[in-house]
Amino acid sequence: MGLEQKVPEGILTTTLDSVINWGRANSTWPLLFGLACCAMEMIATGTARHDIARYGSELFRASPRQADLMIVSGRVSNKMAPVIKRIYDQMSAPKWVIAMGICASAGGPFNNYAIIQGVDKIIPVDVYVPGCPPRPESLLYALDKLREKQARESISADRLSQAEEQLAIEEIIPLGA
Amino acid sequence: MPLDVAPISRSYETQRTLNPPGIPAAAPLPTGETDDTRRIRERFGDDIGAAGLHNGNQVVYVKPAQLKALAAFLRADPQLQYETLIDVTSVDRSHLPLNGDDARFQAIYQFRSYTRNQHLTLVTNCEAAASPAPSADHNETLLPHIDSLTGVFRGADWPEREVYDLMGIQFDGHPDLRRILMPKNWPYHPLQKQTPLGGEEVPFTLTWDDPEFETLGAQILPAESAAPDLPPGMSRENMIINMGPHHPSTHGVLRLVVELDGERVVSIDPDLGFLHSGFEKTAEHKRYKDFVYYTDRMDYLSAMANNLGYCLTVEHMLGLEIPERAQVIRVIMVEMQRIASHLFWLATHVLDVSGTGMSLLMYATRERERILDLFEMVCGARLTVSYIRIGGVWQDLPKAFITELKDFIRVMPQKIREYEAMLTDAPLWQERLAGVGYISREDGLAMGLTGPMLRGSGVDWDLRRDRPYSGYEGYEFEVPTSDRGDCYGRYRVRMEEMRQSIRILQQAVDTLPSGLYKSNNRKVSAPPRAELDVSMEALIHHFKLMTEGFHVSPGFFYHGIEGSKGELGFFVYSDGSAKPYRLHVHGPSFNNLYAIDHISRGEMLSDVVTNIGSIDIVLGEVDR
Ligand code: SF4
Repeated sequence: MGLEQKVPEGILTTTLDSVINWGRANSTWPLLFGLACCAMEMIATGTARHDIARYGSELFRASPRQADLMIVSGRVSNKMAPVIKRIYDQMSAPKWVIAMGICASAGGPFNNYAIIQGVDKIIPVDVYVPGCPPRPESLLYALDKLREKQARESISADRLSQAEEQLAIEEIIPLGA
Repeated sequence: MPLDVAPISRSYETQRTLNPPGIPAAAPLPTGETDDTRRIRERFGDDIGAAGLHNGNQVVYVKPAQLKALAAFLRADPQLQYETLIDVTSVDRSHLPLNGDDARFQAIYQFRSYTRNQHLTLVTNCEAAASPAPSADHNETLLPHIDSLTGVFRGADWPEREVYDLMGIQFDGHPDLRRILMPKNWPYHPLQKQTPLGGEEVPFTLTWDDPEFETLGAQILPAESAAPDLPPGMSRENMIINMGPHHPSTHGVLRLVVELDGERVVSIDPDLGFLHSGFEKTAEHKRYKDFVYYTDRMDYLSAMANNLGYCLTVEHMLGLEIPERAQVIRVIMVEMQRIASHLFWLATHVLDVSGTGMSLLMYATRERERILDLFEMVCGARLTVSYIRIGGVWQDLPKAFITELKDFIRVMPQKIREYEAMLTDAPLWQERLAGVGYISREDGLAMGLTGPMLRGSGVDWDLRRDRPYSGYEGYEFEVPTSDRGDCYGRYRVRMEEMRQSIRILQQAVDTLPSGLYKSNNRKVSAPPRAELDVSMEALIHHFKLMTEGFHVSPGFFYHGIEGSKGELGFFVYSDGSAKPYRLHVHGPSFNNLYAIDHISRGEMLSDVVTNIGSIDIVLGEVDR
C-alpha cells in the first residue's frame, strides 16, 4: 500500500524503483515473533553486540500490520501452523520471509508427527538460513541476501501482490466478525 | 479441508535391530525394603504388589483400586509426609513380553518428601479398556482408565492431562480432562506404541521433477477460522481476551485465555502445545547417546543443564563412574548456564514489566554473551551445546578457558551489583513486583512447583544440596529463600542464586583436578581419535558404538537435577536394547506455569505479564 497506489498507469518508474528499494532495504522492520531456540539467537542479533540496527531492522514490531519481514525463528508445529499463516496474511505487502534455522527451513531434527517439515509448506520463503541455530552473523548475512533481493524488485510488480493481498484480507474479514 | 494428520510409517525408522535373546524385557520388580515401603506394606497389605528398591529409588507397585487411598496416605501420614507429587507419567508396555493378565498401560508417579528428604516412585496398572483391542481412532470409551489424583494433589491436574493427551489414559474424576498439548481434534494419542513416529519421507534425490517442489510456497494447511471454545468455568458475562500465541510478553508461543472483570483477572486458561515437538516419541527411536543432542533443544536457555540431567539418568542406569575432572567441568558448565539463564530471565522480565527497559536487556545480554563465548570455546556452539555427553564431556577444556573464566568470575559480582542498583530499591520496580503473584508455601507444595518458585515461598530445598549429584556435596554455597511468596521475593532469590553460582564456579576453578575428561569405559564412550590409528580394539569399539550404541539393562529410573528453573527430571524406561523404550521429561516450566491461574486471580491484567516473567518459562520445555 502507500506510494505505489499514487503512481498512475503508464508512467515509467525505473528511477523510483531504486529509490523505493533503497528505502525498503534500509528499514525492513521484522515482526517481533519468536518460536523456539532460534528466537534466542534472533534476540541476540537484536542486542548491542551484533546490533541489527546497522541494517535499519532494530524495530521489532509486535503488530503484523507494521512489520515487513517475518523471521520464522524455530520449529513450526501443526498447532502453530495456522497461526503463522494467519499472521503472514495480516502483514501488509510488500512483505518478506526469512526461514531461520534448519527447522523452519526443512523440519530439522524433528521429522515426526508434531512438526511441519519446513515453513515453506504454508508461506513463501525468501531466504533460508542454515544452522541449528544459525549464529547472529548468519542472520545478518541473510538480511544482506534479502537486500540483494529487494534491490531487484519493482513496485510495478508489487501491484499484483496487492491484488493478492486484497484477497487475503477478504478471506480474513469474516474471522473478526 | 481437514488437517491431514495420517501417521506416516517409515519402516527404516522403526526397524528392530538384531537384539540378543532376552530383549526386550519388562522392568524387574523392586527388591529389598526400606522404612517407607515397610510402613506402606503394613497399612495396605496385599494391595501392594511389590515394594522395595529399584535402581536405587524406592518403588511401590499398588493395585489401581487403592491408588488414591495410598496417595492420600503418603501425604497425610506423619511418618511419611510426601508433600509433593513431582511428576506423573505412563508407559505403554505393548511391545514388551507380558504375562497373560499384565496390564498394557502403567501410570508412574514420583512423590517427594521435602521434610524427610525422600523420593518414592509409585507404579500402578491402568485398568483395561472395555474392549481389549485399542483402536487407532479416537474413542473415549475404549481408553484405559485410572483414578485421578487431583483431589489429593492439586498439581496432578496438568501432568494427568498430558498423560491423557499423549498416551490416552483416562483419569476418572479429573475435573477438566481435555487435551493439553495437541490440537483438540487430533485423532490419536501419539505416544501409544502402535502409533508410528510420523513425519515425512526424506527426499534423497533433489531434482526439480520432484513432486515435493510443486507445492513449494503454496498453502497446504488451511488457516480457516474456527469459533474458539470457551474454556470450562468461564462466563461470557465477563470480558474474555486472548493473549498469544503471538504476543511479545508471553516468552514464546504461549496462549492465555484471560477472563476479565474490568481490569481484574477472574481466571486464566493457558493453551499450550504450540511448540510441541514430540521429543518423547522421538527419543524412542534414537539410541541413548544420540538423544543428548535433542535435550539441548528443550530448555534452550539451559542446554547444559538438560544435557547433564539426561546423562546422569542414563549413567546411573549403566552404573558408570564419572572421572573427577569431568564432574568438575560439568559443574562449571552447569553453573555458568544457570547464570546465563537467569540473566536472560532478568532481561526479559525487566523488558516486560517496564515496557521500555531496553537498557537492562542490553546489559544482561552483554554478560550473557561472555558466557556464550566461553561455551563456544569449549564446544564450538553458543546455544545448542551438546557438550556434556554420556560418560563425561565431549572434549577437554582448551588452555585459554580457565583464564577467561577467571576474568568472568572477577567482573560478574560487580555487574550483579549494578543490576541490583538499578532495580532492587527502585520505586517503580517495587510497585510492579511487591505483593504481586503471591503463592503460599502450602499451595506451592500442593501444585508441585519447584526451583525459585518454591524457594520464593519459603521452602528451603535445593537438589544440589539435599540430593547431591556430580560432586555438589563438595562445594560450599547457600540456598537463598524468601518468605514473601511474591514476584519480588522470587526476584531476590534468583539474584542471590547468581551470586552463589559464582561462588561455586570459583571453588570449581580452584579445585579443578587433572585427569580424564570422560570415562575410560570404551563400551560407552568413544575412544579418542588418535587411538583409532593404532589400536584395532579401539576401532571395533568405535564401530560398535556408532552403529549399535550401548545397551542399558531393563528397568526404569527417575532422576532430577536442579535446573535454573526448577527440578529438571528425566524418567527412562529401558527394555534392555540400545534405545530408550520410553523417555519422559519433567520440565520445571510446565509445572510452574500451572500456577499462573492461581497467582493471577484478582490481580490486574498488566500483572499477568509480570507473573509470566516471574515464573520464568521456556516454551520449548513446557511443550516438549
Ligand atoms: S533449527 Fe535448531 S536451534 Fe533452531 S529451532 Fe530448530 S532445533 Fe532449535
